[in-house]
Amino acid sequence: MNDLRMNEKELLQHYKTSGDLSTLGKLYSPYMSLLYGVCFKYLQDPDRSQDAVMQIFEELIQKLRQYEVDNFKSWLHVYSKNYCLMQLRKDKRTMQVDIEDNLFESEQKLNDTSEAKWEERDFEKLEGCMQTLNREQQECVRLFYLEQKCYKDIADLTGYDLNKVKSAIQNGKRNLKICMERKENGK
Amino acid sequence: MENNYQLSRIHNYIHGLMSKEEMFQLEREALDDPFLQDAIDGYRLQNGVDARQLSLLQQRLNRRVEDTIATRHAQYFTWQRLAVGATAGVLFVTLLALLYFNHFNGKAERTTDVELSEPENRISVEPLLDGGDASPREGWKTFEQYLNKQLMASVRGGEIIVNFTIDKNGVPANIHAEGQPESSLFDEAVRLLQTGPKWQGTKGRLKIVFPVKDEKNQAQANVIKPPHCFGVAKK
Repeated sequence: MNDLRMNEKELLQHYKTSGDLSTLGKLYSPYMSLLYGVCFKYLQDPDRSQDAVMQIFEELIQKLRQYEVDNFKSWLHVYSKNYCLMQLRKDKRTMQVDIEDNLFESEQKLNDTSEAKWEERDFEKLEGCMQTLNREQQECVRLFYLEQKCYKDIADLTGYDLNKVKSAIQNGKRNLKICMERKENGK
Repeated sequence: MENNYQLSRIHNYIHGLMSKEEMFQLEREALDDPFLQDAIDGYRLQNGVDARQLSLLQQRLNRRVEDTIATRHAQYFTWQRLAVGATAGVLFVTLLALLYFNHFNGKAERTTDVELSEPENRISVEPLLDGGDASPREGWKTFEQYLNKQLMASVRGGEIIVNFTIDKNGVPANIHAEGQPESSLFDEAVRLLQTGPKWQGTKGRLKIVFPVKDEKNQAQANVIKPPHCFGVAKK
């Protein structure tokens, strides 16, 4: 079986041309446990989450032959998330999705490729931008990125809730990025 | 494998089985990998990783993939079956045709066999052993062949039973018929016996059946025999 040695891109291409389901299985299988976690996050039911993972696979059978997919992993993540949100909408069940959380993620997607070159004055700028963050974000970002503390330690140190620490870091990171890019453009 | 590695990390992370450095490392990765972050969030909601659940899920996927392969095979076999079926159909028709022809050929052959011994067309003899011990020296078969060769075409059909004795030269003598046979039949029987092959034994008693050649009997023959048998009969 030569497809054991195929990397993800080759598998993807092979599936697109051949429609061979076992190839798709090989492609999909490594992500199944992550996908289950993602589905559970939204559906919050073990059976429904399992069904969703299988149903997403069914949909990929068609979709992956139609679309040119560059980054399978992030494509799969976004696709699955949308699938679960659609399920919830079908249920007419509302689900509280942290808008900041999702903003952060989709934005990150857009900025994935941009690679910044760092110079001396960028660090000064970074310090300036740090000051623009609110106290929680500043605190958490500093502890996480500079002191390399894990969320739990930060929660213990600051007394914030673990989820608050997480979103403070995610949002702080995002705001910093925006700030850095704005200053750069404004020059 | 990377899959399992990540899963065990998530498991350890959620259950606080990681060192602070490892936790930081995973959190850092998750910040750059929203997929991983979502998965962690999900498993945290579920209070951990259920390995059994995931292996069931893996089995479901395997089954799904195999089913399709099996279905494809089934479809393939369907085509194969169709081809086999078609071939079988052709063979069946061929067989029927062969049987049909064989049937008639066989019938013709059987009829031919009957023809050869049919008294209507050939003269035949039936030794009646209750009245004698004589037999032709060269055998009954040869005698019958002689009779058929020597039979006069003008003789009408019928049967006659004759008794005779064998003289010292092996020639039938004292030939007399039983009952009141037609004189032409009797004369012919005497002629055939006395000019024919030599005999052995002392007394003979024979039933000679002359072929039927009159129109009435030929009409009868027509009813009995299928038309194509005539070709054989004429030989």
